[in-house]
Amino acid sequence: MSGFRHGAGRLGDAQLNFTFDGKPMLARVGDTVASALLANGVEVVGRSFKYHRPRGVTSSGPEETGALVTIGSGGKADPNARATMEPVTQGLEVFSQNCFPSPKFDLMSVNGLAGAILPGSLFSAGFYYKTFMWPAALWYKFYEPSIRAAAGMGVPPKVADPDIYDRIQSFCDVAVVGGGSAGLAAALSASQSGLRVVLFDEHNVLGGQLLNEANNEANADLEQWRADTIAALEAASNVKVLTRTVCWGRFDGNMLAAHESVDGKVRQNYHKVQAKKIIIAAGAIERPLVFGNNDKPNVMLASGARRMLNHYGTATGKMLAVFTNNDSAYQTAFDYSDAGIQVSAVVDSRQYPSQALLDGCNSRGITLHTQAVVTEAKGWQAVRSIEIADLAANGQSVSNRRRVACDVLAHSGGWTPQVQMAAHGGKPPVYDKKIAAFVVGDQAEDTYSVGAAEGENGLLVGVAQAVDAAKAACAELGGKAGSVAQPPQDRDGATNIVPLWSVPAKGKQLVDIQHDVTAADVIQSHREGFVSVEHLKRYTTLGMANDQGRTSNVNALAIMAECRGLSIAETGTTRFRAPLAPVSMGGFGGREIGKHFKPVRRTPMQEWHEKAGAVFVQAGMYMRPQYYPQAGETIDDAYERETEHVRKKVGICDVTSLGKIEIVGPDAAEFLDRVYINMFSTLKIGKARYGVMLREDGIVYDDGTTSRFAEDRFFMTTTTAKAGPVMAYLERCLEIDWPELKVRVSSVSERWGAMAVAGPDSRATLTAAFPSVDFSNETFPFMGVVHAEHNGAQMVILRISFSGEMAYEVYAESEHATDVWQAIIDAGQAYDIVPYGLETLGALRIEKGHVTGAELDGRVTLGDVHMDGMASKKKWFVGKNLKDREGMVHPDRPQLVGLKSVDPRTPISTGSILVTDANASAGADKQGWVSSMTYSPELGNFIALGFLRGGKDRIGERIYAAYPVKGKTVEVEVVSNHFVDPTNERVKG
Amino acid sequence: MIRINCPYCGEREHSEFTYGEDATRTTPDNDAPMEEWNKFVYERANPAGEHIEYWHHAFGCRAWLKVQRNTLTHDISWVGLPHENPEAAS
Ligand SMILES: [Zn+2]
Repeated sequence: MSGFRHGAGRLGDAQLNFTFDGKPMLARVGDTVASALLANGVEVVGRSFKYHRPRGVTSSGPEETGALVTIGSGGKADPNARATMEPVTQGLEVFSQNCFPSPKFDLMSVNGLAGAILPGSLFSAGFYYKTFMWPAALWYKFYEPSIRAAAGMGVPPKVADPDIYDRIQSFCDVAVVGGGSAGLAAALSASQSGLRVVLFDEHNVLGGQLLNEANNEANADLEQWRADTIAALEAASNVKVLTRTVCWGRFDGNMLAAHESVDGKVRQNYHKVQAKKIIIAAGAIERPLVFGNNDKPNVMLASGARRMLNHYGTATGKMLAVFTNNDSAYQTAFDYSDAGIQVSAVVDSRQYPSQALLDGCNSRGITLHTQAVVTEAKGWQAVRSIEIADLAANGQSVSNRRRVACDVLAHSGGWTPQVQMAAHGGKPPVYDKKIAAFVVGDQAEDTYSVGAAEGENGLLVGVAQAVDAAKAACAELGGKAGSVAQPPQDRDGATNIVPLWSVPAKGKQLVDIQHDVTAADVIQSHREGFVSVEHLKRYTTLGMANDQGRTSNVNALAIMAECRGLSIAETGTTRFRAPLAPVSMGGFGGREIGKHFKPVRRTPMQEWHEKAGAVFVQAGMYMRPQYYPQAGETIDDAYERETEHVRKKVGICDVTSLGKIEIVGPDAAEFLDRVYINMFSTLKIGKARYGVMLREDGIVYDDGTTSRFAEDRFFMTTTTAKAGPVMAYLERCLEIDWPELKVRVSSVSERWGAMAVAGPDSRATLTAAFPSVDFSNETFPFMGVVHAEHNGAQMVILRISFSGEMAYEVYAESEHATDVWQAIIDAGQAYDIVPYGLETLGALRIEKGHVTGAELDGRVTLGDVHMDGMASKKKWFVGKNLKDREGMVHPDRPQLVGLKSVDPRTPISTGSILVTDANASAGADKQGWVSSMTYSPELGNFIALGFLRGGKDRIGERIYAAYPVKGKTVEVEVVSNHFVDPTNERVKG
Repeated sequence: MIRINCPYCGEREHSEFTYGEDATRTTPDNDAPMEEWNKFVYERANPAGEHIEYWHHAFGCRAWLKVQRNTLTHDISWVGLPHENPEAAS
């Protein structure tokens, strides 16, 4: 253990209890898991992704690459959480990851040894791609399971997350991303315009890098400036300050996406904020240096070590060494030294640090090694010393290796402005040689980047930029932003960096610490011919861990550029995509999960079906009775009984889910003539007609029955599946194609409950139920339409049949539909009426050879389903121009046929392929497919509908329905699709 | 998100709308030759830049609208009724 409590930082005295791998620990209110673990002396927090190398805390912020933990347990478990971003709460459970049996003793760390011994280690660059090319048979048996066991991060919970996630959509005039000094100033300035301002910051305390500063007498005025600015923002009613909120993406129309963590009933809010202007004050993050074992616990970013001490009151070690290629890390050495912690060395790869820095070291008695590098961090698990050496002037070799004692190494490879959010606006960042990092080039529209996100600006310049941006943004919106008190001290932004992309020495040098990608991997991928940075990224998986390459990107690009002999500017950067930080899936789901994923539609008769013991099935959004089992019945028993009963006596089925559209106006008949292939202008009032629609390309679109209620009033039904699309299509036709037609369409699907009454006794049943209606064949023939009333409820009764039996469809006003249904049930008792479900509806229509969505699947033509004769030659209709193209009418097209299994009790699977060879293999000539199947009680045979090449002329042929996935092949006879009553005697009876 | 200013409802998020089709095509005459219809149904310009298309305010007023959208930036510069045209449109 090396970390310990040292002073108060900005935290109070209040304490909290939490556990790490079950071990009780103490924290202070305001601690993150990382600061608390360090304060408790924990060095090894987990194991790495591929090599199972020990890992500890590497930072104090979102750039954390080492301390990934699982927060909470059971369904609440949150794997791969960055310990630096998770506040400790009372009783919090924290678990290490990717280690067995414990982070200190991990059996899998042998992967690291193997890497040292084998030429090209098990997990070296391109490992995923190369491994897939090995004998495929070995993949499932050996490689895949062992890799799964070896590589990985946290384990996702196996039970549902019990927490609530919310989605919040809002609007603002000025959005400020980042709550450091520049962001605070921008928000405060903009707030004085009276416009709506939103400020996002992912930390729970605002202030950004001001929090790295020592909280002491010398900085009291600066700390006061931070406090005053925050207080002023919080007092402003037009400002929304969102802390612990990571703004992770910017999308079309200036929409910002952000996840907010909250404590309470709701765990996270997913904000979609529509902003008029965006000020990006996302700051910069420090990047690591690349040297041997730079991933060892207690190797930390210098700024992170500094914030641990100054903000959290947690010293990261008892003896600190610093390794840097720029000025900024010196302050960490100075602050530790001033706090009474020994600083054993500052190792600077540059030859001439400034006099001020030399003086700073001298006055504190800190040994400074210039033109020197750390070649390797040493220590069994965590740092106990470092090996340093002098760097040759050309940077290619080292000499004079020597040991320096320390138990924490703070390093700095320079600063990387957080340009991702600006880049999401569509403008690629550009390389700035002076600061050795990418900065925002052209600003996207409505966007301003300020402060450290824009380069090495320093405190006062950054704040001034922020206020200027706020003023410009507000002015464009017609507002007047105010001024903001200047911070009482400055912090110079210049780091005088001299890039050191990697140290010329041995040992595992990690570039992407989180994803275990080494400098050697980058070099290897170059040797293997990868030149594009996008390919490098995918081949090595660099930057693809949950830190999204924040710390690794620039170093990797630099190494790649060096290999290729190009400048970094020429190599370029990979494209930045949202999300720029890990975000939970829960937030996206919001409350639309489980049964709330989409709305459930119920028919008016739902309760009746429930009482009758119906088993329900989801059909589209509707819950529909699938069958009504009697005691001891299976689904097959039930639908066979129901089907048989309808054919012999009478049954009733809920068909409310059909689409219903009313079409009204003087040109209604002309309109229908255009959308249907057959004639509707000739339809007599009080009659119904079956109609078919085509798409413009001549493929069958939908079918249904349309009745004429009056000269200018029609009632259309559509299939359940196409109810919505057909409505939108009719609206489009009227508004775009034929605005001259005087027609209105309105969806009345919700207005009518619908029920089919089918069977030889249907007429007698309805006559008994509704004595005022004359159901005789003379006054109410097949395809007749009658308006009637039952106990004050409006009804429309159509004599149409989907089952092939004598049948009626009764449409009753929804609020009275159950009464009407019940009246039919009561009257039908004399004829043993049964309710039937979707299974029986399907069985009946397959027996009759009627098509539904399973057949009209967007591929079939009129000829395929034997309806070409229906198309009118006397008028134009949609689809007419293209329906007769050569390929659409070719005699070899698959055509609708009936299929009967030769062994009557052998089912034919839906989806089977039709072949002529019983032993057909995968390469066989596929001549068609099976679209729907059922058992036919009437035929005592399993039957099916399907499409068979040239099927019209193949009646009587014996072929095979093959289902290779199940290893099933069934011999079938090709028959007409009209299994039952092909001459329509029954429906007209 | 893309926002569309419906002439009937005002500015709404695009998730209330469904994309319809290319609005720059002219429907052939009913008795036009098959080749012309074939072109109309299958051939699209796919421009990089300004494009005029139909959108349906399906979860709003259910009006069909004509929308000028830049396919590169998703900027919507004009919204009108199906038989109107943006002034600058060529
Ligand atoms: Zn609208």
